[in-house]
Amino acid sequence: MAEESGPILTANGIPLKVSLERSMRQNKLKAVGLVSVPFVFLVLMFVIPIIMLLVRSADDRLVNDVFPRTFEAFKSWDQVDLPDEEMFKAVVLDFQESKPSERGRASSRMNYAKSGWRSLVRKTGKKVKDVTEGPYKEALIKIDKRWANVETWKSLAIMESDWTYEYYLNSIDLKQNSDLEIVQQPENRRVYNMFWWRTFLVSIQVTLFCLILAYPVAHLLATLPLKHSNLLMICVLMPFWTSLLVRIVAWMIMLQQEGVVNSTLVWAGMLSDENRLAMMYNYNGVLIVMTQILLPFMILPLYSVMKTIPPSYMRAAQNLGATPSLAFIRVYMPQTLPGIGAGCILVFIVAIGYFITPELVGGKDGQLIGNQINYHMRNSLNWGLACAMGSILLIGILALYWVYDKIVGIDNMKMG
Amino acid sequence: MAIHPYSTVPQRAWHYSYLIFCAIVFFFLVAPLVAVIPLSFTSGAFLIFTPEMLAFDPEGYSLRWYRLLIGDCSDAVVTTVCSDKWVRGAKNSFFIAICATVLATTLGTLAAQAISKPYMPFGKVIMAMMISPLIVPLIITAPAISLWYSELNLTQTYTGLVFAHTVLGIPFVVITVTSTLVGFDQSLMRAAAGLGGGPVYNFFKVQMPLILPGMISGGLFAFITSFDEVVVVLFIGGLEQHTLPKQMWSGIRQEISPTILSAATILVLLSIVLLTTVELLRRRSDRIRGVTGR
Amino acid sequence: MSAEDILVSFQGVQKSYDGEQLVVKDLNLDIAKGEFLTMLGPSGSGKTTCLMMLAGFEPATHGEIYLDGRPINNVPPHKRGIGMVFQNYALFPHMTVAENLAFPLQVRKQMNKAEVAERVQKTLDMVQLGEFGNRRPMQLSGGQQQRVAVARALVFDPELVLMDEPLGALDKQLREQMQYEIKHIHEQLGVTVVYVTHDQSEALTMSTRVAVFNDGVIQQIAAPDVLYEKPDNAFCAQFIGENNTFVGEIMSVKGETCEVKLVDGSVVTSNKIDAASAVGSRTTLSLRPERIEVNPSAKSKYANAFEGTVKELIYLGDHIRTVASVCGNDEFIVKIPNSSEHASLSVGEKVKLGWTVEDCRALDA
Repeated sequence: MAEESGPILTANGIPLKVSLERSMRQNKLKAVGLVSVPFVFLVLMFVIPIIMLLVRSADDRLVNDVFPRTFEAFKSWDQVDLPDEEMFKAVVLDFQESKPSERGRASSRMNYAKSGWRSLVRKTGKKVKDVTEGPYKEALIKIDKRWANVETWKSLAIMESDWTYEYYLNSIDLKQNSDLEIVQQPENRRVYNMFWWRTFLVSIQVTLFCLILAYPVAHLLATLPLKHSNLLMICVLMPFWTSLLVRIVAWMIMLQQEGVVNSTLVWAGMLSDENRLAMMYNYNGVLIVMTQILLPFMILPLYSVMKTIPPSYMRAAQNLGATPSLAFIRVYMPQTLPGIGAGCILVFIVAIGYFITPELVGGKDGQLIGNQINYHMRNSLNWGLACAMGSILLIGILALYWVYDKIVGIDNMKMG
Repeated sequence: MAIHPYSTVPQRAWHYSYLIFCAIVFFFLVAPLVAVIPLSFTSGAFLIFTPEMLAFDPEGYSLRWYRLLIGDCSDAVVTTVCSDKWVRGAKNSFFIAICATVLATTLGTLAAQAISKPYMPFGKVIMAMMISPLIVPLIITAPAISLWYSELNLTQTYTGLVFAHTVLGIPFVVITVTSTLVGFDQSLMRAAAGLGGGPVYNFFKVQMPLILPGMISGGLFAFITSFDEVVVVLFIGGLEQHTLPKQMWSGIRQEISPTILSAATILVLLSIVLLTTVELLRRRSDRIRGVTGR
Repeated sequence: MSAEDILVSFQGVQKSYDGEQLVVKDLNLDIAKGEFLTMLGPSGSGKTTCLMMLAGFEPATHGEIYLDGRPINNVPPHKRGIGMVFQNYALFPHMTVAENLAFPLQVRKQMNKAEVAERVQKTLDMVQLGEFGNRRPMQLSGGQQQRVAVARALVFDPELVLMDEPLGALDKQLREQMQYEIKHIHEQLGVTVVYVTHDQSEALTMSTRVAVFNDGVIQQIAAPDVLYEKPDNAFCAQFIGENNTFVGEIMSVKGETCEVKLVDGSVVTSNKIDAASAVGSRTTLSLRPERIEVNPSAKSKYANAFEGTVKELIYLGDHIRTVASVCGNDEFIVKIPNSSEHASLSVGEKVKLGWTVEDCRALDA
């Protein structure tokens, strides 16, 4: 073999890599052709929506599109004294040339920057058509005194750019004041950090409970002879296959005031009739139900790892003089660490994105961040905020999956 | 940690408490689902075990909630709203789930085929993308989809729901089919080509019969995902796209009646049937490929 | 070999999988019609890759392959009409034996059902599996599966059949039996067979010609007897059959013969094979163990005769394998046939060992 420097050439002098590329092209084209249809479908129906969500979380063109002249004039304003006549004129023209519905949506957005904008825009919008000539400054101030307040004008600064991180600030209880400094929300509007914290807490607790419950069970499944473990495996897989809503309904029967658990406890005399436990529609309800629902996600990875540990290790450890418990802790447990890691991350990731369970069994103090996304998406229609929360959640989850991939590899994901 | 003649008393105690603990966990997993079934046959109007039921008095049991479920409103005693919403919901769910399953199975199999080729460019990236709908939680996917689909005028349409559910089903098919293809002996396709069969003919005649168990179980996962899915339906479904999970959702939130339990019972049975099917398919595919054991 | 006799022709074929290393370096090979050509070589020598390129499962990175005079680089495998027996047989597990055999006939759509059934039965009878048509491949033994694979490759009357280590999975006895059967089928049908193996005895038993591969290059291509008795280079001599080697330096060249000085100083007269070697260059001497006579009666018969010490004797029934120490080689092997008048030796005995110039080949270093 001729070991020359530089690229290896084929007989007629073409670099080998080029020649290889050429000969494999047809195979590659075939594979690309196969994948192209599902690829395009997924891009169109899933990837673009996710990108749109990310864009939407920072998109701030809504106000700029409705008040173009105002923001044009804003650029030349010194942001100290009340603006001059030019800017007031721009505002009036923008008002007169926009539709009330557009103004309505824009004013909702403006209200996030400084409360009071919504009513100001609505009030001004009603009367502005009567203003036909200058001086516009007096006319506007006559409609509403707030136009004479410099703070009102200064709050436009937050909305000036086409892009904003206001929604991201909002979703962690911060905001920009009119001097564009990042400050905490006023006390009464600090709500979301609590939801983030609670989501984190629930996920951690659920993960922990799942681990405690799953570890012995997975061990039992892995050590029993297949004949028996198959039947028990069905017990694990059945909830996995059953509709989430059905499982929630089932838990309602179990946990409600008149439910199976309470009734059994009362019947057994462990509880007096008037002291029935409140296990539903609160934080505890979310914990119990989510633990049961996510338990298979912990059992299955643990099981698949434990299944690969040959019993000879434990025997060897005992043969070398370790007691069964010491052998278990020193020899068996370390080998199950990948399973523990995989199961914990999996359960945690699934848990922080939960929405249906807390919505239905959470009551007031069991609501998680997912419920806030739902609320802002469907009720308050503050889409920017919902998208920002979603984006934060998404980035967190992707980061955790990256870790998961490092531990087990996504393609090794098993489903029953 | 089994019991041996030489085990000490604490070791024995530990072993039995371990077994009892496991039994409790299994009970915790299965008990709620089992409790649903008898309660769905209650003759009462509440979701509790009545004294008659506990005494196994036939009076305590009835099929009245099942009648309500199928839209039979002849029961005068029942005060809850009776409508055909359950039946309509079930029909819609089956329709959407079947369409989504067929699409997801086809697209997922195509993608899995390509990804499994060793010379596929960017195979790992594409694989990650195909699986991503499974990774991204529904509470992110659903708003994202609703934003985009409204631009495409796909909200409040069956097409939109089918597409969204197809997206959610594709990862399952890709995962099961790629893992089936790992065990698939590629020399069979070479042999078939060498014997003169064209690529398409060989796929249907040689490869598909062998990877069919994987395709079907992936398809069943896709089916059950779509059939149970409620978040996307809430976000983009209109009044007309009233599915079974949506009906359950509103049932749970508004007037929770034993009708929901009858529906739940049927769904539990359905899941048992599907689970059994998947398990049988897995064994069958092992047998065809001559994998022994089990 | 005249042009119309050639069925397969590799011309300047190169193959690389990663763009950095050539697995097949520059293959030029003509295969005649009706020939049984074996590609023999250690694993990783490029022989299977050549077969895969011929069958169309791997594209050639460079060069062209001709089948019956037509270039086939752009012909997909299913249009090449080449029969193939795979290493693991690749029998379709979901079809019965008969369905497996019917597959190539059905895709060709040239026969009706009855004709297909008849052909399938005839072919199954040929491999003595007439009664097994309704079985699934998994229900057959390894040897039976092997026959089915051969039958399936032959059932559609291909001009060319490729076999990729088809006997690798069988035990020794069955393998030998199958070698003869495949050989007989080849003789009976007159098809061209290209056979890949790493087992040299298999190659010698079955082939009309053997191509010895190493490191992506054909080292020698010749009939089995030529290959065994007249290896062209050290690799072929080593790879095929047992072989004694000496390393030395050429002292003088006289026409076809040369004198080689070994490390211990003794001089051996040898048949000069490697054309490139000149006086002063290093060379490897190759000598078959059965071409050595112990204590030759007439010393004049052998140009080379040296004294050695017997180190080990192994009784193998038909011959006695003797390890001796000769000319600085401590693992010099001599096969003494177990004939009635063979020399009986004992360990530690000093013996005379003689061999001719023709049998001692001076090859490349």
